[in-house]
Amino acid sequence: MDKSTIVCRCEEINVDEIETVLKMGAETFDDVKRITRCGMGPCQAKMCVKHVSNLISEYTGKPLAEIPPARARMPLKITRMRVLAGTESHASTVKAVFEEGDPDEK
Amino acid sequence: MKSRTHAEAYDVVIIGAGVIGNSIAYHLSEQNSQNILVIDKSFPLSGTSGSTQAWVWVHTKTPSSYGELSLFSSELYPYLERKIGDVEYKRTGGLAPFFTEEEREKALKLAESQAKVGIDIKVLSRDEVLKKEPSFSPNVVGATFSSIDGNVNPFRLLELYTRAAEKNKVDYSFYNPVVDIEQQGDGYMVHSEKGVFRTKKLILAGGPWSKQLGSFIGLDIPVKLVRGQVLITEPLAPLLNYTIGGIRQANNGEVLIGYSKEEVGYNRQGTLDVIQETANMAVSFVPALANANVVRSFSGVRVVPEDGLPIFGEIPGRKNLYIATMHSGITLSPVIGTLMSELISSGETSLPIEKYSISRFA
Repeated sequence: MDKSTIVCRCEEINVDEIETVLKMGAETFDDVKRITRCGMGPCQAKMCVKHVSNLISEYTGKPLAEIPPARARMPLKITRMRVLAGTESHASTVKAVFEEGDPDEK
Repeated sequence: MKSRTHAEAYDVVIIGAGVIGNSIAYHLSEQNSQNILVIDKSFPLSGTSGSTQAWVWVHTKTPSSYGELSLFSSELYPYLERKIGDVEYKRTGGLAPFFTEEEREKALKLAESQAKVGIDIKVLSRDEVLKKEPSFSPNVVGATFSSIDGNVNPFRLLELYTRAAEKNKVDYSFYNPVVDIEQQGDGYMVHSEKGVFRTKKLILAGGPWSKQLGSFIGLDIPVKLVRGQVLITEPLAPLLNYTIGGIRQANNGEVLIGYSKEEVGYNRQGTLDVIQETANMAVSFVPALANANVVRSFSGVRVVPEDGLPIFGEIPGRKNLYIATMHSGITLSPVIGTLMSELISSGETSLPIEKYSISRFA
């Protein structure tokens, strides 16, 4: 691996870009992700998490076992919106912005 | 005595490296006259600032004085971008749709009250909404529209605030939780896991962790924690022309959807019910999104002062102690950074800020 090696294929992020964030003080995969977009693509870090964790371990000197894994989030695998929307639940916590605006002075 | 003589000394210590703490650090550092440290329990974007749709949203913010503060902040974005670099700020214009005829009355009232502070709102008919945003559901009844609203890339924003501040010699200490704060004369000793810092002035910018910071020095900071969950699609061809209350399309084509509010403390888990409700909202607002692939959801904890309005300024009765905590930190960061840096360096501000003092809760 050299500095131009692609670590995240989805977002095309290379070793150099990851090292730049490590120099800022990043210590976790998610720190690296938010600044570089590494792991934000369709595979959701399934390919890059090990490589990035290795780079973090090398850079910080922490053993690999102490590097927290990428945070997994639903839906885990690409899912059509209509599949998620297919229930009849009522929007109780999801509100339209307009419903909130109250023109009366508080 | 807890105080140690080897404590590193600063003119200003800012606790919290989110969008508010970083904006204050950056704006203060432009003067190049003070030694500044920003200290954070974790890393920029690990909290609220990294789990947001990042609208720069003005027109539905009420009371109108709060709308005006948001307007000023939005006006500062293009100027900020020239200074710190491309944060992907886009003044798209904002649409807040409504779905019942009764709401039009409320919309007209909103337009009237916001006009007094210079926020121009048009109340659109169904046809006007569909002309502006052809992909919007024909079930819409109308919308309020203002050209002032937009959005920004929060990741770029935080990175570039940090880099610009570092260039101006601001020090950062990440992964370093503050464990105690001690007043000493006119200054403060900030005890952290990695050491003690002595400072002349201290700024609390801990967002959702403000209550804990306040408790170190016997202050009650009246804020609530609210969880928000958001869905993200794969990158789509250009679909939305405007920032819609609830939905926006980012520069890379992905669409972010969500406007949920739950009071569940620091719990940042995603929950299937809210994800489903959010997907329902997506499809009912923009039917074409039914066919979009959802790549991820995220969930974040926002801080909301008890009366909904920002809390910032000096803390009365505590010399050299300041606070800045609020909802909508992305929208407000340019104006808050500007006003707080004025206040910290000269004791005066270019806009009156008294109504945002924490003293209103006393």
